[in-house]
Amino acid sequence: MTKLLEITDLHVAIAGTEILHGVNLTVNAGEVHAIMGTNGSGKSTLTKVIAGHPDYVVTRGDIRLRGQSILEREPEERAREGVFLAFQYPVEVPGVSNMYFLRTALNAQRKHRGQPELSGAEFLALVKDKARLVDIDAGLLNRSVNEGFSGGEKKRNEILQLCVLEPALAILDETDSGLDIDALKTVAAGVNSLRSPQRGFLLVTHYQRLLDYIRPDHVHVLLDGRIARSGGPELALKLEKEGYAWLEAATTPS
Amino acid sequence: MNTTAAHPFAALTPNPPALPTIRDEDWRFTPLKAVTGQAWAAPSAAPVKFDAPDLGGPRLVFLNGRLDDSLSRPAGLPAGVTISRELPPLRQAAPERPFVALNAAGARDGAVIRVARNVKVENPLQVVYAGGDGAAFARLRLELAQGAELAVAEHFTGAGRHFLGSVTEASVGANASLKIARVVADSAQAVHIAEFCARLARDARLVLDSIALEAELARTELRIELDGEGSQCDLRGLALARGHALFDHQIHVDHAKPRATSRQLFRNVLDDKSRGVFSGRVIVRPGAAGTDAQQQNNNLLLSDDARVDTKPMLEIYADDVKCSHGATSGQLDANAVFFLRSRGLGVDQARALLTFAFANEIIEHIAVAGVRDWLGARMGERFHGLAQ
Repeated sequence: MTKLLEITDLHVAIAGTEILHGVNLTVNAGEVHAIMGTNGSGKSTLTKVIAGHPDYVVTRGDIRLRGQSILEREPEERAREGVFLAFQYPVEVPGVSNMYFLRTALNAQRKHRGQPELSGAEFLALVKDKARLVDIDAGLLNRSVNEGFSGGEKKRNEILQLCVLEPALAILDETDSGLDIDALKTVAAGVNSLRSPQRGFLLVTHYQRLLDYIRPDHVHVLLDGRIARSGGPELALKLEKEGYAWLEAATTPS
Repeated sequence: MNTTAAHPFAALTPNPPALPTIRDEDWRFTPLKAVTGQAWAAPSAAPVKFDAPDLGGPRLVFLNGRLDDSLSRPAGLPAGVTISRELPPLRQAAPERPFVALNAAGARDGAVIRVARNVKVENPLQVVYAGGDGAAFARLRLELAQGAELAVAEHFTGAGRHFLGSVTEASVGANASLKIARVVADSAQAVHIAEFCARLARDARLVLDSIALEAELARTELRIELDGEGSQCDLRGLALARGHALFDHQIHVDHAKPRATSRQLFRNVLDDKSRGVFSGRVIVRPGAAGTDAQQQNNNLLLSDDARVDTKPMLEIYADDVKCSHGATSGQLDANAVFFLRSRGLGVDQARALLTFAFANEIIEHIAVAGVRDWLGARMGERFHGLAQ
């Protein structure tokens, strides 16, 4: 099995405060990993540091993509190498049409891979298919990125970007938060359509509900900046039923 | 100014008015070094290279302050429109506005465009002011009778170091409509001090876009009198400054009659050591009930050395009015830059795209279509070959 993402002894600080205190995690190609945990446990930090957010500083450890460390790579280099982060709070970009943005992003990545850039017409054909898949109204494609979108539309727009860019590693940061059940199903269908033996997923979520629709291979619990427990899908069900208190008790240093 | 030194315009006109300094409230943020630092001569008659599109319709070209017959094309106008070469008297003598007084004393040539009642002019009329050296003045007057419709593009352009002091006055009759786009696209050493005044009658409409792309100093004063019930003005501006440029918009909107509407949206994009100034004053006169006035100024600072001064002012002397104003100044949104990079755009590409987007919200709404398209293409060139 190909090791897609390897995180070893990862320590991360923001503004001088350490948030992650030694995370170890391996995602193989073809696998779906879910990361659960309470607020403030470091879940979002983990997703942002993989994507290369400049505010987060790695103080120890390593992140490798297909065996190569990406710590020194710029966010755009990571993206072109196949890392994708669906944002917990999608960013509004007034004045930039969704369509133009998506084509610019895809072409930046295609250029990096030595593929020809897509023309407007070629891209239009591609994006229409993908938009249907995630149930995004064609009108939203011509609007400014996320501007005036509802919460659900913003999240579906992240999944549209995922479907257009087809990354090797897809990281979803609480994409399910704030979604009603129909929107959740749509998001899950988009993700499931991309599942393949070559691709890996890291799903960060508060709620077991998402995992009813995107079945994970592995579930990890992040607690106070460390992975406190790993298991299969049954771990998510136990957390849903019993909460996190039993884990906190189990990991409190004596 | 130093009274012992020769007046910078002494060679052009006898007894020129004293020029303002930064001790004058209206000029606090606009040092006039670019004007006062030299003695201005009358321009030579040399031909001037200028930067303005030809929209194919009627066109007047002022070269160094003189209407140029060979470059002008006053044809193609419908019946009921006249262009006359004359120096119209200034509607307002304003001793407290030295550059208007200077224009009164120094202007040698001008034009008056009159549109008769209910005449609609389809093609925009272009007025090009081009300079190459020295100091020149120009005066334009637009008179729209009741129900008339006219679109005008004014281009302030040229090459090298030169000064232009222009005054455009418009009277917009009842239920008439004037659309006007003003573009400063000159050399980086050019100085433009421009005044645009309009008086709007009942239900008259004015849409004005003021775009500054290149000059050393470009100050535009817009004075709009909403002198008719139900009149509307929609004023937008964009200054894209770099180098040591200073771009200044001074807006005065006077709600003199009830139920008039005014909108102001002005943006500055400031790079390098450039400066932006926005002063927006709205006066609501006693009795101007039902006034609806909005003002917005947004500034994007691309460099630590760039500076913006913004001064919104509301003076309300009437009841039952709706007025708002707001100003923002800041750098590019770091989250948006990261978002675009996380999708594969390079950092320069991400910053250029966000800057373009900020500016393009003004450009894409320019009411004179030919100017909008021309500027759209220019913006693409300026922002690293981005085209949208």
